[in-house]
Amino acid sequence: MSSVPLNIDGRDLIGKPGQTILEVARENGIFIPTLCHYTGTTNVGACRVCVVEVENARSLVASCCMPISPGMVVRTDTPKVRASQRMIVELLWSSGDHNCLTCEQNGACELQDLVYWLKIDHPRFAIQPPGHPVETTNTMIQRDLNKCVLCGRCIRACNEIQVNEVLDFSMRGSHAKVGPAFDADYIDSECVFCGECVNVCPTGAITFKQARFSGRPWDMKKVRTTCAYCGVGCQIELNVHDGRVIKVTGNREFGQPNQGSLCVKGRFGMDFIHHPSRLTVPLIRKKKGGELTEATWDEALDLIAKKFKALKKQHGPDSIAGLCSARCTNEENYLFQKFMRAVVGTNSVDHCARL
Amino acid sequence: MKVFRSHLLLCGGTGCHASGSLEVKKALLAELDKRGLADEIKVVETGCNGFCAMGPIMVVYPDGVMYTLIQAADIPELVEEHLVKGRVLERLLYKEPSTGETIPTMQEIPFFALQELRVLRNRGIIDPEKIEEYIARDGYAGMAKALTDMSSGDIVKEILDSGLRGRGGAGFPTGLKWKFASQSPGDIKYVLCNADEGDPGAFMDRSVLEADPHAVLEGMVIAAKAIGAHHGYIYCRAEYPLAIHRLNIAIGQAKEAGLLGKDILGTGFDFDLEIYQGAGAFVCGEETALMTSIEGKRGMPRPRPPFPAVAGLWQRPSVLNNVETLANIGQIILRGAAWHASVGSEKSKGTKVFALTGDVNNVGLVEVPMGTPLGTIVFDIGGGIPKGKKYKAAQLGGPSGGMIPVQHLNAPVDYEKVAELGAIMGSGGLIVMNEDSCAVDMARFFMDFCQDESCGKCTPCREGTKRMLEILTNITQGKGKEGDIALLEEMAGIIKDSALCGLGQTAPNPVLSTLRYFRHEYEDHIKNHHCGAAVCSALFKSPCQHTCPIEMDIPAYIALVRAERFEDAYRVLLKTNPFPSVCGRVCDHKCQSKCRRGKMDEPVAIKFLKRFITDNAPRPKIAAVPVDRKERIAVVGAGPAGLTAARDLALRGYKVTVFEELPEAGGMLRWAIPAYRLPRNILAREIDDVRALGVDIQCGARVGRDIPWQKVAAEYDVIYLAPGAHASQKMDVPGEDLGGVWGGVEFLRDFNANEEAWLAGKKTLGAKVAVVGGGNSAIDAARVAARLGAEVTILYRRERKDMPAAEEEILAAEHEGIKIEYLVAPLKIQGKGGKVNAIACQRMKLGEFDRSGRKRPVPVEGSEFTLSVDAIVAAIGQVPDMSFVPQDSGVSVNRWACFDLASDSKSRTTNPKFHAGGDAVTGPDTVIAAIAAGHQAARDIDASIRQAAGEPPWEAPEEEKIDIPLVIDEETQESPQTAMPEMAPAERRQGFAEVELGFTREAAIAEACRCLRCDIEI
Repeated sequence: MSSVPLNIDGRDLIGKPGQTILEVARENGIFIPTLCHYTGTTNVGACRVCVVEVENARSLVASCCMPISPGMVVRTDTPKVRASQRMIVELLWSSGDHNCLTCEQNGACELQDLVYWLKIDHPRFAIQPPGHPVETTNTMIQRDLNKCVLCGRCIRACNEIQVNEVLDFSMRGSHAKVGPAFDADYIDSECVFCGECVNVCPTGAITFKQARFSGRPWDMKKVRTTCAYCGVGCQIELNVHDGRVIKVTGNREFGQPNQGSLCVKGRFGMDFIHHPSRLTVPLIRKKKGGELTEATWDEALDLIAKKFKALKKQHGPDSIAGLCSARCTNEENYLFQKFMRAVVGTNSVDHCARL
Repeated sequence: MKVFRSHLLLCGGTGCHASGSLEVKKALLAELDKRGLADEIKVVETGCNGFCAMGPIMVVYPDGVMYTLIQAADIPELVEEHLVKGRVLERLLYKEPSTGETIPTMQEIPFFALQELRVLRNRGIIDPEKIEEYIARDGYAGMAKALTDMSSGDIVKEILDSGLRGRGGAGFPTGLKWKFASQSPGDIKYVLCNADEGDPGAFMDRSVLEADPHAVLEGMVIAAKAIGAHHGYIYCRAEYPLAIHRLNIAIGQAKEAGLLGKDILGTGFDFDLEIYQGAGAFVCGEETALMTSIEGKRGMPRPRPPFPAVAGLWQRPSVLNNVETLANIGQIILRGAAWHASVGSEKSKGTKVFALTGDVNNVGLVEVPMGTPLGTIVFDIGGGIPKGKKYKAAQLGGPSGGMIPVQHLNAPVDYEKVAELGAIMGSGGLIVMNEDSCAVDMARFFMDFCQDESCGKCTPCREGTKRMLEILTNITQGKGKEGDIALLEEMAGIIKDSALCGLGQTAPNPVLSTLRYFRHEYEDHIKNHHCGAAVCSALFKSPCQHTCPIEMDIPAYIALVRAERFEDAYRVLLKTNPFPSVCGRVCDHKCQSKCRRGKMDEPVAIKFLKRFITDNAPRPKIAAVPVDRKERIAVVGAGPAGLTAARDLALRGYKVTVFEELPEAGGMLRWAIPAYRLPRNILAREIDDVRALGVDIQCGARVGRDIPWQKVAAEYDVIYLAPGAHASQKMDVPGEDLGGVWGGVEFLRDFNANEEAWLAGKKTLGAKVAVVGGGNSAIDAARVAARLGAEVTILYRRERKDMPAAEEEILAAEHEGIKIEYLVAPLKIQGKGGKVNAIACQRMKLGEFDRSGRKRPVPVEGSEFTLSVDAIVAAIGQVPDMSFVPQDSGVSVNRWACFDLASDSKSRTTNPKFHAGGDAVTGPDTVIAAIAAGHQAARDIDASIRQAAGEPPWEAPEEEKIDIPLVIDEETQESPQTAMPEMAPAERRQGFAEVELGFTREAAIAEACRCLRCDIEI
């Protein structure tokens, strides 16, 4: 069977075998709110925000993990569904310190969106954050578990996307929390600071520490670029505000090669950009023992060419060797060796990755 | 084979181990050795015998004599008597609590006699650590049949046909589960046994594993063959060390015997299994969480589909069955599907094992056919509720289940009926709760359990149960709010509907179930801050005070008795109760039923201490209160309700006039309760105090006869109607209007009005009198008749324990030589010359339970008999006489001949000028209830007058401070309640002197010292 007919909200639709209700709904522009769902990771059905009514089902079903079946009749917008979603969101809201005034995720928070979408004025329950201390022991990621909704996206990102297997749940029931083994801080754990958890967190529980108080989500100008750290060519998104790069995020829409994932360098190693010691123009030491002085690129390249030529003439091409960088792309490396062999005329070319 | 002359089967279940059976075994072996009997008599340590309350238990075969509550010290005597001299040792035999008779053999004990043992067929019979004993009882024969003669399909069909459903609680057809798994493609499949029994109060699976582990192994091999699995796991909680120990032995023995492992019985079928120990998370009993746990991950459930039959353990097709389900399998295969389906109800076949615990006499493990009425399990097998308390509900299905209240005792316990009643079968935990359990507190307890055991994965369960617990806790602490019940209901519905797994989906069940049956308790907690069971201690100072309808400060006056400050104690009594010396004699003392001391040994004799105070301290003087209010208030009826209201209103400055039909005030206290219980001068003293306040009591003045209703209505601003219930109910049998047939209250009233004539013999009942009924009036009438020289027989249609009369009254009647015939109902009254001479009766037997939880008497055909009598007193109930209320009064009277109250008031009638209270509103009730009604009416009347006049509410004058001493004993020794000295029964029938003589000073102080002072928070 290659197509599965079903009906969602009165619309006759066709899905593919193995698809979930949520997938079919999304394909067809039917909105079902989600929170714990994260495409590409296991469907866990934890938050229950995506519940829908399915005819003849014993109870509401979580659309994110319910496979479609032929003839299935689904309603996504009944009073029962909305009452459940509202209750669930109220429970999540009141169980944490969801104070949007100072939250970095304000405006980009999925819980905030849900509250607004469900038109909840205030939760019927007293707000009782668990009172966990905010984790401030590293310089890259700030974890405030008081804003955690226990959706488990960070856990799946860590275990299934990056396969670092650092994060999991600990404790039970309303004491449940997310973290590395033995309740360690990230810095004392096996964490490699890939930042995937930050990227997938729907709330302000896991945030970029360097970006704190540097700009609201809506202030950010997103600039797509290629990570300069290695030759993989990871696509990254620079979040720029007031001419400064505030943080680096992944974007799965950019696709290959990294599908939005990054490593610690690409994610967090961007403070050099605005560093005062950063070299921004070529420097030339015009006389031996003298100071390095600023020069133009033309001056610098002319100088290099002149010196190469002189060396080659005096000592032959093999007096020159080339060492290139893993930060360069394959194409750049190719060009470099071509330059060394064809222009300089030597086979003495090597690469830092071989060392 | 060695032959022994006797086998001693000593229970070695965890329960009996805990109560000392290992010590007993050691002593037994030593004693047999010492006497050289070790070769003749064999000691066998069996698995759980089931009657855990009576452990350690030993059954001596071949005699079948069962000894209970054995201690090591009993062994020399037991061996000497039973095994050497051949005499049964009487003192260690089981004694039936209801009859007091000793029952020597196990099969005759009702606890065992009514059970049907299938799953537990080997309990207490075999040594679970010896595979030979299991095999000798047809063990592994079912497996042999399945492996040699049956195909996978045959096995699945047999189990499907048997109707076996999952005993873990959900009741899914086992055969169907196996069918799905057998049809799932894959060469690696798993058979799993769920032994993660975690419900509070449930120990069925543990007992099966401890008593008959091979039965589970056999079931697993058959399941493996059915689905094509070669590997299995038993997921057993680590808290069951004995079960794991015995399972390990069983697995080892079975492997050695070729019954497990490679090429089982030479059939070429391989199946191996191992035990996986659970670390104690309740949620790991949920199938997907259990599998996740075996996989070595955090035990959290995962969404279904895929179902385990398709992708279970390590994503392979798996079957997971409960211990009890698997223990059924071997016998079903061996004896056939029809055998299994031969017991049980239509859709629930076979038997079910229940762990019977809580407030029930015979705590233990019982196996009964599906569909056995709940009442049979609790009362006939379970022996009913200890200490004569009332059954309130049974929690079935543990924290995921619900309560089954008293009105459903006849319900057949099977999957369908239990679900219909809002509970679940669960794994079979059956927790009995008596009247001292609070429904809200129980719901809170189970919610606490669920939120504690929630894994935290899904929002509704993690956060929802926490918030529900918060609301429930608030309610039990008196912080409940309007709207809490609605919010609880909404949350319960949403959590049930949207939680991920069974734990969350069923967690709200106890709340829904208690809301369904005990909603009034929630309301009572929220609105009145009252906990009827006196459990929610944040709502009160002490349970006795909380239970007293007028909240007398009981701990205070008891402390004052202890301090020998009797006068102060009297003042404390009078603060709330205008009739303390009456209540010290005839109160039904509900306070004592909740006394914390009663949980230890016996409750404090609160009633007797109250009487002691009024007998021994000078009565504080009462001065008239000046009338400072213009409103005039009339009270109709000078009983305890009317007089209390009159007194309270007089204290608030009102002019009150009481109209009483009879020649003296006091109502039932004067005209029904005989003087030997309540001496007239004692009553008169308290009524005089009401007069002394300025209340005008006009006796011989019946409203509607002596004073027109309209006149009262016109002349008074507010009228309080408290006429009582002074007319006897009719028996509704032919001949009731013959001469010599009296109504109970009519007889008592006549006697009390014409005592001299009766005593002089001018009026007489005759020589033989039958009293019909079982309430206090019946006993009063019988004891009065006996004092008039008659031979009295009480005829009561139920059993003694069902009599509404106070236990002490029934005892007194028995002591005075009054014969009580139980289970007898009148059919016809016969007479001659217009006068009764006999009563034809019929014997009754007990049928189903009625809504009050008592077994309904049903006539026994052909048991009719006739009793010749000279008089009959029918005391089967009373109704108010409402003939004085005019039709057009606007005061509505209901079909029970009682006043209707306005829905928003506890005392106002349908005509706002008239309030009403006492028996005329509630039907016949107690003195203390009438006093409470009087207080209520006075408060309401005063408040309505002031409100209408725009005045602020009344402020009580500042009470005199009475310093209450605080003396608490360091240690408390168990000691019974101090007995009330009584007149010898022989003397009593001579006259109407008070029977109870009152505590001496020493006795009173000693009794006061028994108070645990649970009112004090330290």
